[in-house]
Amino acid sequence: MTVRTERLPYGVGRLTGGWYVLIGVLLAFVVLGLYAYSRQLAVGEAVTGMRDIGTMGGATWGLYVAFVVYFVGVSFAGITVAALIRLMNLEFLKPIARMAEVLTVIALILGAFSILADVGRPLRAILNLFRYARPQSPFFGTFTLVISGYLFASLVYLYLDGRRDAALLARIPGKLQGFYRAWAAGYRDTPAERERHERASFWLAIAILPLLVTAHSTLGFVFGIQVGRPGWFSALQAPGFVLLAGVSGVGLLIVIAAILRKVLNVPDQLSPQVFRWLANFLMVLTVAYLYFVIVELLTTTYAAHYHEVEVSRALLVGEYAWLYWASLAFLVVPFLVLFAQFITQRYNIPLIVLSGMLVNLAAIGKRYLIVVPSQTHGTLLPYGTGAYAPTWVEYSIVLGLFALGALLFVLFVKLFPIMEVPETLVSEGAAQQVIEGG
Amino acid sequence: MARYAMVIDLERCTGCRACVEACKVENNTPTANLWMYVFRFEEGEYPNTHVWFMPRPCMHCDNAPCVKVCPVGARYKRLDGLTATDWERCIGCRYCEVACPYGVNYFNWKDPAENYYLDWNDEDLAAVTGGTTPPYRNPDLDQPYGSEQRRVAGGGRAKGVIEKCTFCVHRVEQGLLPACVANCPLFALHFGDLDDPNSTVSRLLRRKPSFRLLEEQGTQPRVYYIGGKPPTTETRQIEEVKARV
Amino acid sequence: MRTTLTLLLIVVGFGLQVVSYFFLAAPWGIPSSPAYSNPRVPFAPTIFILGVVLVFLAAVVYELLPERGQ
Repeated sequence: MTVRTERLPYGVGRLTGGWYVLIGVLLAFVVLGLYAYSRQLAVGEAVTGMRDIGTMGGATWGLYVAFVVYFVGVSFAGITVAALIRLMNLEFLKPIARMAEVLTVIALILGAFSILADVGRPLRAILNLFRYARPQSPFFGTFTLVISGYLFASLVYLYLDGRRDAALLARIPGKLQGFYRAWAAGYRDTPAERERHERASFWLAIAILPLLVTAHSTLGFVFGIQVGRPGWFSALQAPGFVLLAGVSGVGLLIVIAAILRKVLNVPDQLSPQVFRWLANFLMVLTVAYLYFVIVELLTTTYAAHYHEVEVSRALLVGEYAWLYWASLAFLVVPFLVLFAQFITQRYNIPLIVLSGMLVNLAAIGKRYLIVVPSQTHGTLLPYGTGAYAPTWVEYSIVLGLFALGALLFVLFVKLFPIMEVPETLVSEGAAQQVIEGG
Repeated sequence: MARYAMVIDLERCTGCRACVEACKVENNTPTANLWMYVFRFEEGEYPNTHVWFMPRPCMHCDNAPCVKVCPVGARYKRLDGLTATDWERCIGCRYCEVACPYGVNYFNWKDPAENYYLDWNDEDLAAVTGGTTPPYRNPDLDQPYGSEQRRVAGGGRAKGVIEKCTFCVHRVEQGLLPACVANCPLFALHFGDLDDPNSTVSRLLRRKPSFRLLEEQGTQPRVYYIGGKPPTTETRQIEEVKARV
Repeated sequence: MRTTLTLLLIVVGFGLQVVSYFFLAAPWGIPSSPAYSNPRVPFAPTIFILGVVLVFLAAVVYELLPERGQ
């Protein structure tokens, strides 16, 4: 028996110098975001680039709303992957299940914070949504299903899936032992418990998939059922949101998995097979989304309403053209790269990671293009075109949110194994000691 | 219960924007927030051009997109047909503003000033206004209305909430006309009860052909225009107002 | 016992969602009166969220409920 006692797996609890530096850098960005937010609270949203639609010639939803949509979109990955592993018996994907679940939880928290950054009265928003929220408003779904329901469901999933590992780690003496014991909550890994967990997570997966489609669709409906804004009113909006959510979520999951593979030095657990599967999944989602883009493009340019064409013109050849074509390129190029790998069956992890990064940039770009141009170029009365450019406050808050997300992730990695712990990693000797000793 | 509506006679409007001014003084709205706005339009190519003016208050739609999307019911429809904003419930998400096809919603991007437009302590002014109560001391603007006791009148109330034209609900409830209507020097604006067949608005709408803005959006606006035609895609603003916060 | 409680939680959770969405919150429709903008019961949305939470809490109860007789 190889004895590797007293060490928690995957670097949990071992705080290295590099880790502290990383925490410091991330904290600095979080503080920058907080400072920007304090300016916004003190002065009002006049410090942002947003202005009223119409006579003020602005966009009243800007970067914040684009990132609400982006962050909620990213949350797609975790639960989908976790549910697919369970429902389709994809055992080899188990190592990425937990990091995907954590990604979902963190992304949803960031989405909620982005909403709070956007609203003019954050405290009142929290109270009044619980008190008065109306089902007829598309925000009802965003607030009840996405932020509350989805987040809670993901936490439940993460918690239940982690019990076995918590029970294993609770056998190793250390500062975090009490935490693991609380998480395990009496789990002993008996066959009965294992079977019960299998059954519970199967039904959770079944319950979460429809919630996932509903949640991302409600976010699409925020835009898709507004007839007064050219470029928004489209039945493709809701399914398009679900797909782009998948693209960005899976893309980011690939990036995170690759980073952890390097940092934790676990090329065997996070095998090329895992990346191959993720790459293929991302390829399918990307090409499906590209199909949506083309359908949308044809519909709005071919025989459309005057104002629809105006918005399309701003996108295709006007003010937003650089962003539109860049976003499109960042979808097409990754697709081609992934497709070539699929055809040749020769997968290259750096290229897959690059694709993951590019589709995320594309997703951010597309979210921005959905939110903003319909306000600046889509007024039905002849107000003239508007303009919107984010200010340093908006950039800082968004940057701070990203840093907060990374910070939460890095903290979690040091608190709990980010991958399922193989039995052999926890030595029986240590387990024996604990049982005898106490 | 009354069904209030506004009738705007485009033939009479000269684009003087006295209504815009009256609204601002009455409601003390922040400088850049134009609850009432008057478009100055031109159409056609030289030498065959046409200039005309179109006041644009809130349309107080019967099927209001802003009311439908409001997540907390701060924007709501009163039984008398007014579309009101409860600035004490509003959370400032600005969904009403993106949902509105007319662009009539204004967000308070920063803390509004107590008094924007006139120095009410000035003696010369007092001689003209004859002791009119300034908006910031007008108790009507600060009172909750109706059975619900909600705060819907007046402007420049708080940072981070949406405000828009109220049809001067505080004046209408006292039997007065909205400030813009009362101050139009050419009587281009009319306000009244559509349920009363003898009201000015009912008589005007019976006599003259009318249209409503963006009727095809299904919003069923309560503002009717007579003596003209709606703006088309060829209509241009002569001077684009770019109000700055 | 375990299964009964779990199913009960799920049923009650969905029940709360349906009831609060259709009968307690503000009604759907063309808003022609303030009634469309106020929940019929205060904090109806909270009841809805409670319903969602209960449904997923059922899984936790199912797994964590201690075996009887131990």
